[in-house]
Amino acid sequence: MVPAAAPRSARLSEAAFAWGLVLPAVAAVVVVVFLPLLYSFWMSLADVNLLRTSGPALELFGVRVPLFRFVGVQNYVRVFSDPLYWSSLWRTAYFVAAFVAETALVGLAMALVLQERFAGRPVMRSLLLIPWSLSRVVVGLLWLGILDFEFGALNGLLDNLGVIDGHIAFFKNGFSALNVLVSVYMWNQAPFATLLFLAAMQSIPGELYMAAEVDGAGYWNRLRYVTLPAIRPIVFLVLVLATVNGFLMLDLIYILTMGGPGNDTTTISWLGFQTAFNFFKFGPGTAILYTLTALCLLLTLVYHRLILARFEPES
Amino acid sequence: MSSVRGVREVPGTARPEAPATDRDHVAPRSRSGARRAGSRVLVYGLVLVVAAWLVAPFAWLFVTSISYQKHLLARPLSFIPPEVTLDNYRMILGLVRFHAEGQAAKILPSMLNTLIVSLVVTVLNLVVGTTAGYAYARFRFPLKHVSLYALLFTRMLPTVVLVPAFFLLFRTLGLQNTLTGLVVAYCSFTLPFTIWIMKAYFETVPSDLDKSALVDGCNRLQAYYRVVLPVSGPGLVAGGAFTFMLCWNEFVVAQVLNTKPGTTTLPPVIAGMNGQINIDYSVIAASGFLAAVPAVLLVLIFQKYMVQGLTAGSVKG
Repeated sequence: MVPAAAPRSARLSEAAFAWGLVLPAVAAVVVVVFLPLLYSFWMSLADVNLLRTSGPALELFGVRVPLFRFVGVQNYVRVFSDPLYWSSLWRTAYFVAAFVAETALVGLAMALVLQERFAGRPVMRSLLLIPWSLSRVVVGLLWLGILDFEFGALNGLLDNLGVIDGHIAFFKNGFSALNVLVSVYMWNQAPFATLLFLAAMQSIPGELYMAAEVDGAGYWNRLRYVTLPAIRPIVFLVLVLATVNGFLMLDLIYILTMGGPGNDTTTISWLGFQTAFNFFKFGPGTAILYTLTALCLLLTLVYHRLILARFEPES
Repeated sequence: MSSVRGVREVPGTARPEAPATDRDHVAPRSRSGARRAGSRVLVYGLVLVVAAWLVAPFAWLFVTSISYQKHLLARPLSFIPPEVTLDNYRMILGLVRFHAEGQAAKILPSMLNTLIVSLVVTVLNLVVGTTAGYAYARFRFPLKHVSLYALLFTRMLPTVVLVPAFFLLFRTLGLQNTLTGLVVAYCSFTLPFTIWIMKAYFETVPSDLDKSALVDGCNRLQAYYRVVLPVSGPGLVAGGAFTFMLCWNEFVVAQVLNTKPGTTTLPPVIAGMNGQINIDYSVIAASGFLAAVPAVLLVLIFQKYMVQGLTAGSVKG
């Protein structure tokens, strides 16, 4: 606001004022995010016994924070020597890859349909928000109503049409269950990708399309040479966001599969959650979740580069 | 076919000169009339497919919630319920006795808990997050970029990694199984989002506005809350509605931290009902639909602002 040539005192007081505005939020984020994050990291290096918290402790503002016994990287060694961790990691990789691909493709396809001119377009844009605004608990439940072996509507439909003999058990086979999770999560998330794509498509100047048409470009050529290059930054953005969301997905697994059958839908985030909160092994649990955090940190760097490199040329 | 074409021609060709009512860009159409009619049919066909994909699953949740379980199991399956009933809703609202009424009795109190937590978190976010977003959008100050990176990082952070820490800290602080604890925990994932959305919003508010307020004799703080805030309704609505939606829908944190009956929120209660074999799916569907309605209504009512705020927030960074 104040130009760079402003007197030093004005800039100083501006900085002080700005910090005054930012301080409550920054302090809150430090207290509710960074301190717990550090404490979780400490737990990943400790032998956490929830029943015995009387050992070493840290006194902070009169609050006694149990520190447990420091064991170094022992939890990480234990986690990395567990074959289940590695199989979960590969499963997570598959899950994320499939989820990112489905979200980007379906999100883009919906955007391409919705940017056409048709009656009732505002209504369609509202409908887009329905899957996205639902709690994942509800998302899981409603797809259970469609895919369940006994009462599922899809089995009912296929049965009515005479396509199947007896019902399909979508969750019985591990690979099938994993793919169901991917698609259900995609149903929930792809609409947001569509919103981002639509916003990007709206900012493409109409002259580009007119010029393409004058050159005799058909629909697919316009898509390939005008639309896709113009929305490329958003495509990257969608890919990064979907990757992070894919790594973090947890609630749908809880509702639909609980990581099963066997461990066939156990991803890293579910393994960490289960280790920490079903088996109450906080040490190994936080270690697993920290490897996930490291992955997300890496992706943040990518995301950050994307944002700064492509969207804020003016600043 | 020709009649379709005839109808299309009139509004379609007059469009380019007309003032743009919606700013959305539309790809120009092919010149051949027959192909155009064909592509119209194709567009409407595809629109119908997308609409069905988005709505049908949710609509089916509603249908199952007003059906009897026996009709859901019947084959051939009737997609229009042969018998409509409100019994499922009566059960979860405690108006009729049934075998799992203990579970169902948790619905309404947990809904109230969810509402309280969501509202408190939303208000906190709007007060604290908006102020910070304004400062990030307007001023240069030491450590601005470092703290922005930190915020960006927390946006990508798996919230579940914080939960073990909350679990132990809340136990020592006596915040376990309290709504206060949930409010604190929910701020960890909502606050970075709110700051980010509000920062993106304030960047669209011309800074000449604050400048002229300063010239008119306001101090900086007055320029913010007397001049800028009153015209920032759309941004506040976007940030507030999004925060409320995130809290209303949250499951994992509440499931782990508030396990004592009566202290938790709606999603864990519904998930708990889902885990019991003796409760009919139609009853669970009714509770799921009840949980979905507030969030869906909120988003539909404020969709314009939310879409603007969120796309700006994730694109502008």
